[in-house]
Amino acid sequence: MYIILVYDVKQQRVGRMLKLCRRYLHWIQNSVFEGEISEVKLAELLSKARALLDEEEDSVILFKSRTQQWLEKQVLGRERSRLDNIL
Amino acid sequence: MKKTFYLFNPGRMSRQDNTLKYTAYDEDGADGQTRFLPIEDVADLYVFGSLDANSALYNFLGKHGVSVHFFDYYEHYTGSFMAKEYLLAGKLQVAQTGHYTSPKKRLVLARKLVEGAAFNLLKNLRYYQSRGRQVGEEIAQIELYVAVLPHATSVAEIMGYEGNIRQTYYRCYEQLVSVPGFGFGTRSTQPPQNELNALLSFGNMLCYAACLSQIYHTQLNPTISFLHEPGTRRFSLALDLAEIFKPLLVDRTIFRLLNKKEIQPRDFVRELDGCLLKETGRKTFVRVFEERLKETIQHRRLNRAVSYQHLIKLECYKLTKHLLSIEEFQPFKAWW
Repeated sequence: MYIILVYDVKQQRVGRMLKLCRRYLHWIQNSVFEGEISEVKLAELLSKARALLDEEEDSVILFKSRTQQWLEKQVLGRERSRLDNIL
Repeated sequence: MKKTFYLFNPGRMSRQDNTLKYTAYDEDGADGQTRFLPIEDVADLYVFGSLDANSALYNFLGKHGVSVHFFDYYEHYTGSFMAKEYLLAGKLQVAQTGHYTSPKKRLVLARKLVEGAAFNLLKNLRYYQSRGRQVGEEIAQIELYVAVLPHATSVAEIMGYEGNIRQTYYRCYEQLVSVPGFGFGTRSTQPPQNELNALLSFGNMLCYAACLSQIYHTQLNPTISFLHEPGTRRFSLALDLAEIFKPLLVDRTIFRLLNKKEIQPRDFVRELDGCLLKETGRKTFVRVFEERLKETIQHRRLNRAVSYQHLIKLECYKLTKHLLSIEEFQPFKAWW
């Protein structure tokens, strides 16, 4: 499964949220991540995120796609981070 | 599916926030861009450039079962950092050793491995024959070698046939590449003498590492092999398995790269009486090789799409079944 995850959390929790997402997905710009992830790993990530969130104030939004193929991505301006696996 | 990451630029990999941080160095050695690699998405690391790292990183990688394969400047595989074995199976270990120590049982497996390799490489030749290349003579010759395989009485003899088959196969190599400027001559290594040899060395090495990575995810012990002599220097079971997959993964990648002119003479550098791939060439090769590993075929028995990478693992499973006398090992033969 290919997902795009965006979050909007209160400043004091931003750091922790960022660190958590970095372990599972590729950072593409502030508070936006994308990447291939399995059902199980996603459930793991979401349960950790849930523990971190204040559900009154914060939100995490997921966009799911079956594979990367079905996702058309367009970038205007500077691409902050490339996702390829040849460094 | 977890991804393999290939590191070409010099840089520093470190553990930060329970994930991987990679800082590339620029030409002056100053820190360049940093990138975080999600640890949950890393299958293994292939290190071609110089990499700074400390034990904290390796501890961390070990915990997550990520192995790191190293290659030197001359494109040789130099070794691996393997995470602690996590699939231990004493019973299989004993069976695997048993199959090695019994000359009769070992012979069976060695023969099957060479049979598989020969079949797949004939497949390549026949494909090009149908496209009008003159390789009929070589095909007939290889078929002769294959026909005498069942009568071989020792593993050394089988290795000999394997050598002959490869030699005959490499004779066609020049013919299969329709681009002028790529001569082959004979197979040469350490260092490779020309462009085709350099590509072969580089490709074979990637293939060994790919096989090793897959073996790691099964219960097999990578040091006990059947065709090659086990134990010393290398993870030799990976060499055994690679025999079967080299024609499909390496050779076909090379033919594609050259025939589509994705790699050209300018991607090589001649130095010290040898010929090596430049970084641009290596990157192209790795990219295409990676695509190939991810490519899927419809598997007949499993009745679903299976990537080449997974095929290697399936081969390990078949080997396991053979060792435990559940089902006889049949090498993978390309059926399309």
